[in-house]
Amino acid sequence: MKKKLVVALLSLTLVGTLLMGCGGNGGDTTTDDTTTETADNGGDDGAADADTNDAPAGGGENIQIVSKGFQHQFWQAVLQGAEEAAEELGVTINFVGPNSESDIADQVQMFQNAINQHPAAIGLAALDTEALLDGIAQAQAEGIPIIGFDSGVPDAPAGSILANASTDNYAAGQLAANEGWNAGIRDRVVNANGSVRIGVLSQDATSESIINRGLGFIDQIATLVEAEGLTVSITGNTRYVNDSAVEETGEGGDVIIEVLVPSQVTNELSAIDMQTLLNKEDTIVIYGSNQHSGEAMVTGNATIQRLGVGADDVLGIAFDSGATIKQAIRDQLFMGAVTQAPVAMGQAVVQLAVAAARGETVSDVDTGAQWYTADTIDNPEIYQNLYD
Amino acid sequence: MGEVILTMEGIDKSFPGVRALDQVSLEVRKGEVHALMGENGAGKSTLMKVLTGIYTKDAGKITYENKEVVFASPKAAQEAGVMIVHQELNMLNHLTVAQNIYIGREKMSGKLIHDKAMNKAAAALFQRLNIEIDPTETMGNLTVGKQQMCEIAKAISHDSKVIVFDEPTAALTESEIKELFKIIRDLRAKDIGIVYISHRMDEIKEITDRVTVLRDGAYVGTIDTEEATKEDIIQMMVGRVIYEEPKSKSNVAKDAPVVLEVKNLNAGRMVQNVSFRLHKGEILGFSGLMGAGRTETARVIFGADKMDSGEVFVNGQKVVIRSPQDAVRNGIGYLSEDRKRYGIVVAKTVAENTTMASLENFMAGLFINKKKEAQVAEEYVEKLKTKTPGVEQFVVNLSGGNQQKVVVAKWLVRNCDILIFDEPTRGIDVGAKSEIYHLMNELVKQGKSIIMISSEMSEVLRMSDRIVIMCEGRKTGEMDISEATQENIMHAATRRE
Amino acid sequence: MGAGVKKGNAFTNNPIVKTVGTQKIVVIGVIIFLAIFFSWMSPAFRQYSTVVSIFDFSYYVSLMAIGVTFPLITGGVDLSIGTGMVAAGLFAGNLVNQQNLPVGLALLVCILFGVALGCLNAFSVAKLNLPPFIATLSSMMIARGLGSILVGGMSVTWPAGATEQGWFRSIFRLDANGTLIPVGFILILALVIVMSVFLNHSRPGRYIISVGSNKEAARLSGIHVAKWHALAYIISGFFTGLAGVAYAATFQGIVPGTGAGLELDAIAGVIIGGTSMKGGYGTIGGTLLGVFVMSLLKTGLPFIGLQANWQQIITGIVLIIAVFIDVTRNAKK
Repeated sequence: MKKKLVVALLSLTLVGTLLMGCGGNGGDTTTDDTTTETADNGGDDGAADADTNDAPAGGGENIQIVSKGFQHQFWQAVLQGAEEAAEELGVTINFVGPNSESDIADQVQMFQNAINQHPAAIGLAALDTEALLDGIAQAQAEGIPIIGFDSGVPDAPAGSILANASTDNYAAGQLAANEGWNAGIRDRVVNANGSVRIGVLSQDATSESIINRGLGFIDQIATLVEAEGLTVSITGNTRYVNDSAVEETGEGGDVIIEVLVPSQVTNELSAIDMQTLLNKEDTIVIYGSNQHSGEAMVTGNATIQRLGVGADDVLGIAFDSGATIKQAIRDQLFMGAVTQAPVAMGQAVVQLAVAAARGETVSDVDTGAQWYTADTIDNPEIYQNLYD
Repeated sequence: MGEVILTMEGIDKSFPGVRALDQVSLEVRKGEVHALMGENGAGKSTLMKVLTGIYTKDAGKITYENKEVVFASPKAAQEAGVMIVHQELNMLNHLTVAQNIYIGREKMSGKLIHDKAMNKAAAALFQRLNIEIDPTETMGNLTVGKQQMCEIAKAISHDSKVIVFDEPTAALTESEIKELFKIIRDLRAKDIGIVYISHRMDEIKEITDRVTVLRDGAYVGTIDTEEATKEDIIQMMVGRVIYEEPKSKSNVAKDAPVVLEVKNLNAGRMVQNVSFRLHKGEILGFSGLMGAGRTETARVIFGADKMDSGEVFVNGQKVVIRSPQDAVRNGIGYLSEDRKRYGIVVAKTVAENTTMASLENFMAGLFINKKKEAQVAEEYVEKLKTKTPGVEQFVVNLSGGNQQKVVVAKWLVRNCDILIFDEPTRGIDVGAKSEIYHLMNELVKQGKSIIMISSEMSEVLRMSDRIVIMCEGRKTGEMDISEATQENIMHAATRRE
Repeated sequence: MGAGVKKGNAFTNNPIVKTVGTQKIVVIGVIIFLAIFFSWMSPAFRQYSTVVSIFDFSYYVSLMAIGVTFPLITGGVDLSIGTGMVAAGLFAGNLVNQQNLPVGLALLVCILFGVALGCLNAFSVAKLNLPPFIATLSSMMIARGLGSILVGGMSVTWPAGATEQGWFRSIFRLDANGTLIPVGFILILALVIVMSVFLNHSRPGRYIISVGSNKEAARLSGIHVAKWHALAYIISGFFTGLAGVAYAATFQGIVPGTGAGLELDAIAGVIIGGTSMKGGYGTIGGTLLGVFVMSLLKTGLPFIGLQANWQQIITGIVLIIAVFIDVTRNAKK
């Protein structure tokens, strides 16, 4: 009987924790309550039922921001930037996102909720544009301006997205290629006996931002290699092979670019992809195009141990940051990484949204990307964009 | 009896390591009821499975309607007019009676099932057979007996020329058996050949024309029923003579101590105000018709089902029994009527089943002492004369009688002094039956006390020292064996209040 | 007929085959075949680092699989192990990062989290009598959401191997002067032995098998079936927590909302290892072998140039074959 009781109690405790958790913040993360209060005070002269679109130019507008979720700390940095800008401009923001980047339906629901609150403007980082089309049309009909951010809203109907605050991912990929080339890839390519292989690890072949980072890197590497009078070929994932500027497919080039994409996004499968590249003798560089892939590079290398910056090592290039990637940069496991500017992105999306709500003309903002290495990681202009 | 419709000659069938059928023959004529007898494991079911295409024969010849045939599947056999009414009911409990009868050959109206037509056809069928069942009733709501009737009706609705009945009366009440026999006679009059498999000697004498006996997979012989006595048939089956007279007087002294007393037991509709006493060394027979509430009473006493009210005393002490564990702790063991479902763990060995209720006595620290377990199991295999190649044998491979012995061993190892045998010989062949009887007599001699629930009148009269009779959840009679006759038991068993 | 005793053929009567079990022999054969095949096809496969990698990635699945063998033996299932493992890893890792909890304690918290989840399942299945599929499907969702909420939706990275708090990573892979020793494998082997003995030689183990084989018969033998039924799920939860430790030690970031689907890898391994989906039969050694087949395929196929989706297809085919063997075995009974 006693044991039964213990079982029952433990179960109840678990359920209790869950319920408290739910009561705490209802499953989806988070909004900035302090700015909400300021806004309420500031907006008192406008009646509560006033259409927020017509809120006075002095501030108090409500901006809804629908992100891709909070799994990666990247989004926390975006949130931080958005909150800073909101405070500065005296508006309220409600920043939401689904539990994971595969929860497309949840995001559709959140976007719909955002519209139903008749905000002054909406910031949107779409997981799947197709699924959001109805909502976008409704927002347009109700005159709610939409500002894209992060990867924006690719292929949205013309005119529906007034502006984007995003990283130019293709340019960021090119940046990684250029910096890496000068810091050691060129030497390895030019001095090679026989062909060499450059690996690209991609989390998936569906996200526009990830694909562009990959393609920017691939195309730029190809340009640089060809400038040396050498040939390039590409192999691996079909989408990348088809969309890249590299004409020759297969293993025939002096430089072979191989792109691997796992069948599902799990730590294990991505790490196995990394090992597949590391196990090929001719691999000289591996580029992981987001935090997930960067971490998989560390995991995959743990048993094979070929990454490094020494003459015989395989060079690693990562994207974004996080504790693992930062450590790998400091330890010179990776030669370098590209970081976006999430704080700037958060600021920009709120600034653009407020400007659009107030009827000003807005245009795309490239929030930029930076190359960082063990030497530059602690520079303040870099470090503010890195997160754990 | 008409001309021969079916012959099976020289049938051989082997399974890996076992010769299941060895040169077996069977001949069925039109308009005859042909009994197929033999102990469990004699090869009756195998033979019928060979006939209906479930098994492929290794050698031999089947002639049906003067042509040599090989049925590729039960369906092919059915279509040719050979149908088997299985012992286990193959009913879909969520469908109606009519839907069950016409399953696989539904009457259609265009692309849709025509339920009305099926109900009508089923009603006509029942009327012809004199069965009172509503075709629109859900199968699961019927009693087992009625379900059996449906199964039979289904067989008949196939326009069969040969029907095999595999122990059809095992789950039927007396009156249902009478109805069944009427149907069988009716079928016989229509020149249908019937194979009748049963262990009940009385039925064989009553309904069949000829008897074919198998023993250990071999053909023993075929005789006309009229010319044979029960003893002849039994001797053919077991190869030895066994016969026990009914008990004439109780072996228990009137003042023997009471080991179990039940007072005013109530549990739902099936157990109403039941009181009785069980003396040390006594076999207390529980008689009654199907659904009289005997099993329910036993299950409540054993803690398997919930008690509404009432008191139970073991050796004069009041006890509270809320679960089988409580019952076992008080020395009560229960041998279920449905061994496969409730009695044994089929996928486990004889040894594991033997120690299941008393594993705590077989521990060496944290581990089970498998050596001791095997030793004790072997001891009981010997004591109870369980036929098994070894204690590591899976019980699923044993015959019903030997499975029953394993269950008995389980409770004896647990040192239970009060044993409830629920239909101890159901589905057990004649030879094993007498062994079980012998075992029960031995047990009471050793001072155990037994409650024996049985639907077989001869069994009750042969084994009991005293008899409690139930009807519709109430105790309607109690008598000493010296006063008991079939008539006064039946009288009490049908006494509705 | 029932009285006949099956004798089997020469292969199944071989004493070694008899002790180890037919299906396990087949699975061992498959493992040897795959190892030889991959080595033959790809020189790169024949490296010590490949062996270490295969081991490395098998730990968390092995632990989940050992645990879920118990519910499967009772004839049930535990679907909450995948998301439960991730939730446990998230919750405990977050305590390290945010509350500076010592890693040793965090590992304990991780395991206890799994046990608590197991208790919830045990309560639903054994006490409320919910069907295990539904009960654990629910707790799978609960674990997924709870994991996210408890860490505020952010991914969690346990301390890196090089740091002071990162010692726990060498529980599974010890770096002895540059030589990697897969100590985790020894650990798993030890657990397999302990749990095998538990299953086959202890009362709780035998009662758990009885619940799966014939629950009613076990109950009528005076066995407290609810208790042992519950225990199977608590064991599963305990190993879910252990798997969380292995997962945190092997990988870098643990991402909220993930983990669904990993339970199926573990269950597939158990089934390939010969445990019956119908309950009543299963072996822990078989489970480990089954997981190994899966790990070998996952790691080996890329070496012969079969990427991503091919792994899924081939794993699916292997599963069909394994279940087919199970079905055939049951048909014989």
